[in-house]
Amino acid sequence: MYKALVIGGSAGSFQVITRILNSLPKNFPLPVLLSLHRLKHVRSGFVEALSIKSGIEVIEPFDKDSIKPGKAYLAPSNYHMYVELNKKIALSTEEPVNHSRPSIDLTFETAAQAYRDKLIGIILSGANRDGAYGLKKLKQLGGLAIVQDPNECQVKTMTEASLKLTTVDHIFTTQQIINFLQGLK
Amino acid sequence: MVLTDQEVNFFVSTIRNASSYDFSEYSEKSLKRRLQKILLDNNMDLLGLINKLKTNKDFLEQTVKDITVNTTELFRDPLIWQTLKYRILPKFTENKTINIWHAGCSTGQEVYSMMILLNELNLLDKAKIFASDINTDALDAAKKGVYKYRFNIGYLDNFDKVIKENPFNYDEYNDVPYNKYFKIDKVSDSIMMNDFLKKIPIFRQHDLVKGENLYFAKFDLILCRNVIIYFKYSLQNKVFKLFHDHLYTNGYLVLGMHETMLGEIASRFDKKGQAYRKK
Repeated sequence: MYKALVIGGSAGSFQVITRILNSLPKNFPLPVLLSLHRLKHVRSGFVEALSIKSGIEVIEPFDKDSIKPGKAYLAPSNYHMYVELNKKIALSTEEPVNHSRPSIDLTFETAAQAYRDKLIGIILSGANRDGAYGLKKLKQLGGLAIVQDPNECQVKTMTEASLKLTTVDHIFTTQQIINFLQGLK
Repeated sequence: MVLTDQEVNFFVSTIRNASSYDFSEYSEKSLKRRLQKILLDNNMDLLGLINKLKTNKDFLEQTVKDITVNTTELFRDPLIWQTLKYRILPKFTENKTINIWHAGCSTGQEVYSMMILLNELNLLDKAKIFASDINTDALDAAKKGVYKYRFNIGYLDNFDKVIKENPFNYDEYNDVPYNKYFKIDKVSDSIMMNDFLKKIPIFRQHDLVKGENLYFAKFDLILCRNVIIYFKYSLQNKVFKLFHDHLYTNGYLVLGMHETMLGEIASRFDKKGQAYRKK
């Protein structure tokens, strides 16, 4: 019944996201939108690093790519990644938001407008507040809001900021996130 | 503040009626975001903005500038520049002239990157460099060729990757000094392009939406990077058609790292990575 999954993460999220992708079955029923901060000059290699252990294909999309189930779309380095209402990817090089490009807020907000109550959003470990506003929008539009348990995060700032702004549906450890996603039909 | 699609359409039709600019085929998400930012920066609501656009020409011009996005870097995406250096530009060695159009050149970093690379390949003398953008402020900055240093230290990494290093041969290293092309002044926090480069390009204001070729020339190479991401599919196709019409056969169109050409027009090019060769 859900139509898409959007995940935001920053410092300390790489291993978590690797574990999550690793656990997904090849026929995972949703598209996965990944908005992850990375070091400014680590521009290439990230998608390969994520792909190696992923159960589903991980791609850095092109502008206007259609969003399809069972694929993970990683926001390209130095671009914002939006979801248009027609469920296509839109990329932008507009100025960074909260010092971030990609901006997790923008990916979450636009995904929420496109998928509304059919969207699951997960905020992972991170060292700034990006994503908190996006998760709030997602929740307002009826989506399911999940935050990684701050006690488990390498850096808590992002998850704590999200929890402060939104009453979320679940606070999950990585293993609980994995169990939840594996249970999706 | 969240704008509805109708409100965005209202803005677009106001601009269209009051000027020669037309944003009706711009991508919705980014256009909406830009418009929200303009309202926020001007501390106005939509009706206030619309009224001012109708009565104040200068304000309208400024708004058009604010709608467009100006992100660029020296040698942005070194992979593309390596492709130009090793695969594309060498094909023009026997040409008498090389016509190059930077469509949507923004503040000019791409134009200077190209001239630096051409000079290193001993091709700059025969190159004619045309550069256009919709935003005249961006063009003024491009003509000046002065950029912030502190936020752009990545420029030097990119320069090294493209100009000094050879990705196919790690033993090769060309120690080209930066001051051959630009001066770095840390006190004024600036990177200043050398005069001999600044004299070369022909900068002109140009709106790709209007579908004209303002240079009345044909080109061996057109670069249009991170521009068409702001256009809907229909407008992208018009722009590709324009480029196709004004490329020589075997000329190249180079797009941004995450842009692609779709539809019938794509069959009229051979695609290798981000480079499209006209058949």
